Amino acid sequence: MVQYNFKKITVVPSGKEFVDIILSRTQRQTPTVVHKGYKITRLRQFYMRKVKYTQTNFHEKLSTIIEEFPRLDQIHPFYGDLLHVLYNKDHYKLALGQVNTARNLISKISKDYVKLLKYGDSLYRCKCLKVAALGRMCTVLKRITPSLAYLEQIRQHMARLPSIDPNTRTVLICGYPNVGKSSFMNKVTRADVDVQPYAFTTKSLFVGHTDYKYLRYQVIDTPGILDRPFEDRNIIEMCSITALAHLRAAVLFFLDISGSCGYTIAQQAALFHSIKSLFMNKPLVIVCNKTDLMPMENISEEDRKLIEGMKAEAMKTAMGASEESVLLKMSTLTDEGVMSVKNAACERLLDQRVEAKMKSKKINDHLNRFHVAMPKPRDSIQRLPCIPQVVLEAKAKEAAAMEKRKTEKDLEEENGGAGVYSASLKKNYILHHDEWKEDIMPEILDGHNVADFIDPDILERLEELEREEEIRLAGVEEADMEMDFEKLSEEEVKQLAAIRKKRAVLIREHRLKKTVAQNRSTVPRKFDKDKKYTTKRMGRELSAMGLDPSSAMNRARSKSRGRKRDRSEDAGNDAMDVDDEQQSNKKQRVRSKSRTMSISRSQSRPPAHEVVPGEGFKDSTQKKSAIKISNKSHKKRDKNARRGEADRVIPTLRPKHLFSGKRGKGKTDRR
Amino acid sequence: MPQGDYIDLHIKRNGYRLDHHERLRKKEARAVHKRSAMAQKSLGIKGKMIAKKNYAEKALMKKTLKMHEESSSRRKADENVQEGAVPAYLLDREDTTRAKVLSNTIKQKRKEKAGKWEVPLPKVRPVAEDEMFRVIRSGKRKTKQWKRMVTKATFVGPAFTRKPPKYERFIRPSGLRFTKAHVTHPELKCTFCLEIIGIKKNPNGPMYTSLGVMTRGTIIEVNVSELGLVTPAGKVVWGKYAQVTNNPENDGCINAVLLV
Repeated sequence: MVQYNFKKITVVPSGKEFVDIILSRTQRQTPTVVHKGYKITRLRQFYMRKVKYTQTNFHEKLSTIIEEFPRLDQIHPFYGDLLHVLYNKDHYKLALGQVNTARNLISKISKDYVKLLKYGDSLYRCKCLKVAALGRMCTVLKRITPSLAYLEQIRQHMARLPSIDPNTRTVLICGYPNVGKSSFMNKVTRADVDVQPYAFTTKSLFVGHTDYKYLRYQVIDTPGILDRPFEDRNIIEMCSITALAHLRAAVLFFLDISGSCGYTIAQQAALFHSIKSLFMNKPLVIVCNKTDLMPMENISEEDRKLIEGMKAEAMKTAMGASEESVLLKMSTLTDEGVMSVKNAACERLLDQRVEAKMKSKKINDHLNRFHVAMPKPRDSIQRLPCIPQVVLEAKAKEAAAMEKRKTEKDLEEENGGAGVYSASLKKNYILHHDEWKEDIMPEILDGHNVADFIDPDILERLEELEREEEIRLAGVEEADMEMDFEKLSEEEVKQLAAIRKKRAVLIREHRLKKTVAQNRSTVPRKFDKDKKYTTKRMGRELSAMGLDPSSAMNRARSKSRGRKRDRSEDAGNDAMDVDDEQQSNKKQRVRSKSRTMSISRSQSRPPAHEVVPGEGFKDSTQKKSAIKISNKSHKKRDKNARRGEADRVIPTLRPKHLFSGKRGKGKTDRR
Repeated sequence: MPQGDYIDLHIKRNGYRLDHHERLRKKEARAVHKRSAMAQKSLGIKGKMIAKKNYAEKALMKKTLKMHEESSSRRKADENVQEGAVPAYLLDREDTTRAKVLSNTIKQKRKEKAGKWEVPLPKVRPVAEDEMFRVIRSGKRKTKQWKRMVTKATFVGPAFTRKPPKYERFIRPSGLRFTKAHVTHPELKCTFCLEIIGIKKNPNGPMYTSLGVMTRGTIIEVNVSELGLVTPAGKVVWGKYAQVTNNPENDGCINAVLLV
């Protein structure tokens, strides 16, 4: 049984997309790295592979197109003709033929170029040949671009065709446009066909399903047919004609007796007679529709005659059907007679199919397999089945046992329900004597019986120990009593708090130092960068400790350099002794004293401390001030041993680009 | 509307979403930016492909714009100068005309005699011998090196039979033998696939000519009987010369220009 499902045809890419798909696949799926230095056999193989791979891909893709599109002469003639009507057989075949030719051409090209590649003697030549081969394949494909576009359109249209099974029970509705075919369809099935008050609302075949006598019937709604020569009919009408011609179905010929469709009964009768050859050997029902507008009795005599003529014609092919099932009245608006039409059509179709089946040759094969036995009683004696008494008893017993047997669940229910009842695991043990079941089993751990290590009077001994302990504790507690209740005085509390606070501060400081120590150079304590070791602070701390700081402070001050004013020569002239004077003037002397005439120092150079204008400075004062400013600027930095300009700097210790993975094909900074 | 077109059916029954057209408009407006973003982002072969496509579109657009511009703008019409018109200062001179028109065949013969050809490719790169031939070692110990294999495309006549392989000095591999060439007629501007009759001349030397090696610039003789060319005398021409314009061994086919 062939299933006609055109939805599964794969998409046909357009010519350009096709080339892109194939080439990018070649690029992705074949190796890409090749070097001049490789052996020539390897180079040839590399490029041959590319050519072959491209060709196989082309071949595969084109083959799927050729195989998936149905061959018009191999499918059911109904579909064959429908596709011919819709898409034109010649055009369709031509397109598929072109695809086939392209496939062969591509195979040939690949064969030729692989042969030529065998003689390639350099990378350049092999590459040129590969490029030429791929280029020619793509050119071949480019030429069939229009065919591919056509096939894609057809594919899309075919996927939307209703899935009509040409061999199943089918009811076909036909007639002039606008006579109520689609309305009937909507009444009988769930197809939901568009109904509009103008001709040719239905432009293609519609399919719906209905049930009659537990069998499924396929109902096909066809577009309206006009009464004109076969050649003049357009595609829409031809759809109905193909359906009428090829489907072995019950045909409902719809007749609008009111004439509101725009065609008289005479015209409709003419159509009936012109296409009656298509009704041969099919159960035909003439349906007079729209009886709500014009009752059957009111139609004129001539029209009645025409209808009678049609009825007579239909009776010819009726094969023994009654007259009532050939001509029927109906109104889709009022639902009057709709069901009877459906039933008549289905009934006649079923009869015909059964009859056809009975006539066919195959039926003998089936019939000899059918046998319905109808034994006749030989005499009036009743022959009951004989069952031995033993068996009956056994059966009864079994049944009783089945009833009686208590499950664990029942036991649980009886003994207090879930949670309360605990099932005994031991009761089902298979042992020689039942009383053994409840025996206590030795528990063995590491090869020893656990019971051997159990002291039976351990609890007593524990109690004894506890008593002893209590007595002892009582003695100790008496001694401790006084200590426990003593409390700290206010002062002591404060001191304790102070101690704790200080300790916390010290710890914090130490930790801070520790964390900083790794990154900073240590500054000697004498530079006192945190201004920690001032006299003032010393005084404060000493006094906090309850000592008199004045003498210590005085001593410290006397040792320090003192204020500048105090240091000047006139300040304490009289107080100074000779040694001191010499000390204070030392610097000046050094400066004013002319240097000895050393060879290493040029005479023309200025003395060490003298500032000579130059380097863009106006005069020596300006330069001096500049030097001063510069010195001042880094004074603090120097003092704290911070990093300066002259220090060696490593901006990033672990630059990211040197410590992360390989480079992809993106930019250098994307890693 | 066929049965399967449920989207169309739904639209027909319920209409569009209220903001459908607005959304569509916006989507279209954004599409340009999306495309440009994509073009800027994509790398490698994809990027190249996009760039090429965009460039082609741009070029086409410019071309059409220019065409429209041309059709609307006005230009001074070219004055047709009649053929044979002579400026006033040359009017008193007399043109000399050849007394006798040489027939084409005689011209051809003359040319042939002179051995001079006006060909589309007057100069070609010389091909060295070691590029043209590959040495093939022979002998039991593979020590002899007098055999050569031609590495270029060759033409071998239909009546050719190989010498006994033992004595064959030049091997022309059958995979590189060609019998057809794509010949372009320069005046008709169309190309035909014609059979090769013979090799007239290989610019690299007479030895290659006799071997039938076809490299770039080689003059070949092709069978033009399909084209239906006729001599002035009315005979059908069936052989004509053509010059090879590509490197057949690299392209896997022979392209040539007909010499007319």
